[in-house]
Amino acid sequence: MIHVENLVKWYGPTRAVNGISFDVPEGQILGFLGPNGAGKSTTIRMLTGYLPPTSGNATIAGFDALKESEKARRQIGYLPESTPLYMEMRVEEFLHFRGKLMDMPRADRVKAIDYVSDRCGLKEIRRRVIGQLSKGNRQRVGIAQALLHDPKILILDEPTSGLDPVQIGAVRNLIQELKGKHTILLSSHILPEVEKTADRVIIIAAGEIKADGSPSDLRQKVGQGASVLVQVKANGESVQKAFTGVEGVQSVTVEQQGDWVKAVVQPTPGSELRERLGQTILTNGWAIREMRNETASLEQFFIQITADQSQVVEEAVA
Amino acid sequence: MNHVITIAKREMTSLFFSPIAYVVLALFSLGSSLLFFNSFAPSMPASMQGTFQGVIWLMILLLPGISMRLISDEFHSGTIELLMTSPLSDTELVLGKWLGAMGFFVTLFIPTLVLVGIVEAFGSPDYGPLLTGYIGLFLVGGFYLAIGTFASAISQNQIISYMLTVFTICLFTFVIYLLSRAAFIPPQIQQAMQFMFVNGHFEDFGKGVLDLSRIIYFVSGMAFFLFLAVKLVESKRWR
Repeated sequence: MIHVENLVKWYGPTRAVNGISFDVPEGQILGFLGPNGAGKSTTIRMLTGYLPPTSGNATIAGFDALKESEKARRQIGYLPESTPLYMEMRVEEFLHFRGKLMDMPRADRVKAIDYVSDRCGLKEIRRRVIGQLSKGNRQRVGIAQALLHDPKILILDEPTSGLDPVQIGAVRNLIQELKGKHTILLSSHILPEVEKTADRVIIIAAGEIKADGSPSDLRQKVGQGASVLVQVKANGESVQKAFTGVEGVQSVTVEQQGDWVKAVVQPTPGSELRERLGQTILTNGWAIREMRNETASLEQFFIQITADQSQVVEEAVA
Repeated sequence: MNHVITIAKREMTSLFFSPIAYVVLALFSLGSSLLFFNSFAPSMPASMQGTFQGVIWLMILLLPGISMRLISDEFHSGTIELLMTSPLSDTELVLGKWLGAMGFFVTLFIPTLVLVGIVEAFGSPDYGPLLTGYIGLFLVGGFYLAIGTFASAISQNQIISYMLTVFTICLFTFVIYLLSRAAFIPPQIQQAMQFMFVNGHFEDFGKGVLDLSRIIYFVSGMAFFLFLAVKLVESKRWR
């Protein structure tokens, strides 16, 4: 449904997006994840036809985003970052305005506005002036206008930024409900949000794709090679000795903390240690108070990539 | 074309929500009435020619107030992104914006109909020159607003686009008026400059003459500045 090939964008001397390629099949929810300034919005703007790419191309539902821009734009419902709306208009008025720009005849517009009002919970605020609405309600209006013409592709740039947790939950549920009806691309700099809604996550940092896969794939990828942290009541040296002898262990570092020993065990690639370590502890009869995989969360992976980017920036500044 | 009207309608409604529009409306009504009563006296001809001559000077300061936010505001609030990602061409956007401002501009003249009523009550005016006078004013206004649309696409800052519009209009009015009288400029060039003089082209309308070449002058002026505005909006995508 979306095909992106080697997309590059330079802003003057700054390269915001550096050769991004991906494909989104019909019906998929793709989460676009990255720190602020990673190039998410720039990529999205190139897909929606707001910015032309410096090089590379993008195809939206079979239409070239640059050469057949108007046709491509018709396929997309788009919520830009920071939800720009006309503050002096009423919700319903604004939706009519959007519908007219999408060339929807009046009867269709009325039906579609009823539908999206229902879907996005706008029923009570249809006659209200947008400028007087809360941030959460404005966000709903933004999503409603994107859905209005029943687009094949829905692109939401940071749909939950600036919302409180309850509102975030509501938006997340809404996106879940839309699953299957539209191909959805949503971006965020907050991981759990994308992790919960998306079928697939692309992590982007410094204008490049750093990881691409389903949330569980990525978690597995991160889990592999993760060290195991163990805390047992024993003597440090004996723990070191016993753990080093376990099959699949690459290295062990121990730290004595009073009666307890904290050991960090690094496995050889591809081996799962926890079961065998448990066996060893049992045989030695040590008391245990903790054992866990240390870097199994996607969050840490994400933080690591983010840190890489800030490092790049720091180097550039230096 | 539907898109142009959609944009124009929205623009006109939003103008009525902005305080600046009411300032313009109030000053315009006040100014045109003062100008009217200045030339309204016994034994004077029952026409509004004098008023119209003054109103086009008044428009230099007031019309840029209407146009200054047309495009700059869209960039400022980010709503331009909604428009540019809709199936809407840049030409439709610019034309719609200009047409919306024109709509508001034309409504400025509704209060002046009272003045026409006064002329009718105290004399028997010739409606031909009155009608062509209004047509002339609309053409001058359209030209000024086209300049304003162009200026509002240059800068996100409304003050800058206001000043730029006033300055450009002054080039076509004050500056030419003064230079075409200056002795150091050769007469051929003075003649050529006279041709660019807005007020010179308006004079005929006030007298009741509809001259095609005058109309072409204003229409091509509008087309020129609107074309520049479209090019500016297009170029924003590439920056």
